[in-house]
Amino acid sequence: MAFLEELKSSVGDALIQKHEQKIPYETDASYFQGSEPMAVVIPETVHQVSLVMKLCQKYSVPVVVRGGGTSLTGSSIPLSGFLVISMARFDRILEVKPQDRYAIVEPGVRLDTLNEKLLQLRHFYPPDPASSMAATVGGSISTNAGGLRAATYGTTRNWVLGLEVVLPNGEVVNLGGKVLKRTAGYDLTAMFVGAEGTLGIITKAILKIWPIPETKGRILAYYKDIEKVGLAISSMKEKGITPEIAEFLDRITMNSLEKARGMHFPESALYMLIVDISSTRESLQRQLDDAVRVLRQFSPTDVTVTTDPAEMARIYEARKGAYASLLSERSSATERVVIGDIVVPASSLPMALRESEEKLKEDGVRAALFGHIADGNIHANIFADTGNEDQMKKVDRFQEDFGKIALKYGGSVSAEHGIGIEKKRLLRMEIDASGNPYVMDIMKTIRKSFDPAGIMNRGKMFD
Amino acid sequence: MLQNEVGKCISCGFCESVCPTLPAAGYDLWKGARGRVIMGHELLNAVREGREGNMDISDSFYSCLDCFACLQVCPAGVNAGVVSHLARSLIVGKKIKGNQNPYAEMIVAATMKYMNPLGIPASSDNWAEGLKFDQGSTDVLYTGKMYQLMAYTGGLNRVRDMAGDHVSKLMAGIIANHPSVIRMSASQRDRSFQKQLNNSLRNIVKLLQAAGNHFSYPGPMEPYPGTFLYDLGYLAEFEEYANRVYGFLKEYGAKRIITVDPHTYDLMKHTYPEFVDGFDLEVVFYADLLSGLNISKTDRTVVYHEPCHFVLREDSYSTPLELINRAADTVLAPRNGKRNRCCGGPDELIFPDLSDKVSQERYSELISTGASEIVTACPICLANLSKERKTRDMADLLAEASSL
Repeated sequence: MAFLEELKSSVGDALIQKHEQKIPYETDASYFQGSEPMAVVIPETVHQVSLVMKLCQKYSVPVVVRGGGTSLTGSSIPLSGFLVISMARFDRILEVKPQDRYAIVEPGVRLDTLNEKLLQLRHFYPPDPASSMAATVGGSISTNAGGLRAATYGTTRNWVLGLEVVLPNGEVVNLGGKVLKRTAGYDLTAMFVGAEGTLGIITKAILKIWPIPETKGRILAYYKDIEKVGLAISSMKEKGITPEIAEFLDRITMNSLEKARGMHFPESALYMLIVDISSTRESLQRQLDDAVRVLRQFSPTDVTVTTDPAEMARIYEARKGAYASLLSERSSATERVVIGDIVVPASSLPMALRESEEKLKEDGVRAALFGHIADGNIHANIFADTGNEDQMKKVDRFQEDFGKIALKYGGSVSAEHGIGIEKKRLLRMEIDASGNPYVMDIMKTIRKSFDPAGIMNRGKMFD
Repeated sequence: MLQNEVGKCISCGFCESVCPTLPAAGYDLWKGARGRVIMGHELLNAVREGREGNMDISDSFYSCLDCFACLQVCPAGVNAGVVSHLARSLIVGKKIKGNQNPYAEMIVAATMKYMNPLGIPASSDNWAEGLKFDQGSTDVLYTGKMYQLMAYTGGLNRVRDMAGDHVSKLMAGIIANHPSVIRMSASQRDRSFQKQLNNSLRNIVKLLQAAGNHFSYPGPMEPYPGTFLYDLGYLAEFEEYANRVYGFLKEYGAKRIITVDPHTYDLMKHTYPEFVDGFDLEVVFYADLLSGLNISKTDRTVVYHEPCHFVLREDSYSTPLELINRAADTVLAPRNGKRNRCCGGPDELIFPDLSDKVSQERYSELISTGASEIVTACPICLANLSKERKTRDMADLLAEASSL
């Protein structure tokens, strides 16, 4: 095949063609099973990426770019006939400049690795998806990842200053730059945030970084009523308290963490809140007291506070692994976890949470609920045998109902996981519900202007 | 069992971020932790559907270091090291065509014939010459020949390098059928390193005796414990072999064995009882017996590379660190304890290039601490981390600090 021969002569050992070696590239962290890719390339240089894209353009070969393989919507899996381009070898942190508040990194750097490096300079990169141990800079930009700290710091979109990108035709372009302000025409940097690899391949990123808060404390509050959980957070925000993180977990999730992590939670608790307050040393205690006072107004069964770093780390790591730990709660070995991801304005949370629980019952699906509650982001982790058509119909129905709850309150069907394969229909639903179906045409036009041959992650996000 | 282990995985990828072989393999996913779990699934499906003979899958599992770093971060408790071990055992047990690793076959054949994996003759094992033991004591020093072997592995790999991949595999196949051929590689041993290793063993004896211990030593006829047989998945051979070793030790009169390396310690303590009916030997690591030692702190700062078998298994074992800390100001690498990074040693005979890359990375991390010396408590780690910067065995440091 001419394409593969030319590819081989362009990238040499960076090409994987053996059947068995390609198998791990067929899946990511979602429940979707991709196809065997035509080949996998693991380039090391921008020049190689450019050569690969020129060849893909020439032979109209569809491409999917892979970062940490942590997508939950099937965004990083290959469909039939795809070439996989893994950016794993772009794993260097090139420059960190705290005085200018930026870091220049390659896309294959994992988020936790970046933050370990920044910690030495008392700085951090705030976007903090639960998958940060495995997720990469490139992948998290491409899904506009949010995560635990988004309530205070926003999502990835707020932290990308510039990009180096290889376009589908092989051209290398630099967008944005090292400065915190820029108003120079259309913001093409922002266009790549959340683009899920449909517009080009990120080969370098200039990221905004921030000083680490002086100190923090963590509150654990337990409730029996889901609405009270939502009300407690809304009330806290109304009073001007912005928790750095505010996570809620339901009983199923707590059970899974007890099994997988050896943690212990009060038996009577049906819901748990994890609230972080970051502050100066002088005012931390006062702010923790203020937050606890609000949380106590909503009849918690228990409230505890810790400032012990080891204990805080244990809870944080457990929460970040909750998605994977949940598998221990499935009712049969064939069940997987299908994860829903909506967002509503925080003040609508009490109603949205209650309605979500009602819809779970109504649609006949079992799910664990957790989420980043301070920014209104709810995850429904649905247990389902993905090979069972009837069960998947129920899952689809619930995902649609779940999405409708988000839209009813002015939210979105996808808070932070992107669209991928999974939420294409829901994206359509959201755009239609806005009353401006033309928005989809604009999106298609933009995509086509970058990728006229339609080779970039074809079949994902929208057709 | 393999089904249970891979069935727990949701494919989050956390394990990939800590797997030492993934970056060393150029991020080729099937040589990383998540890839191995996925391949374990694939192997099971292939066996179920009767197409396993059409696959070439074993490198994924044989490249695993069994360091268990993956287990430490998995939110679902999946151990890709165990997956690899179970998969290797399945491949070996079912004799799956095209998946037998020639080097593994070579090692197994030599071990079964010579009671050590490289066919080292007892006559060349003379490290204990001149030392006095309490022969007749039921406390038995058992080196398992692990220190002795390390002088030979580098030489064997040099032969492989010279011969190239294709010829080396052919040679390994020949040795698997005619194990005596492996003895030719004995001439390639590193004599200077052998002297260092012998000295470390002698220091272990001196330390134990200075701490008031009385023990016997079976001499150069002592067998290798069979670690490779177990690790490479040759469980039937391992069972037979472990019973042979147990028989040897019992006949010698052992009631308690004093091991000197983490691999032998772990294997004898945790695995032997599963394979040897009525196993009744008490197993200790020599560091356990050094509490009576009079150690004075030297004026150096050393970095201690923790063996995976001591810190990444269920029961962390910190006695060596406590002793080293008494002998010198001790720092740890940035990744230590439950985040420990393997030295790459377990891959040395199967995938030497991969092993070298892993060890190079760990070495860089260790010297980044600024310590003047690297100290290890395992001969495999010592062999893999001995590069430009001074790397020495714990026994040598302790002997110096105890003025022995």
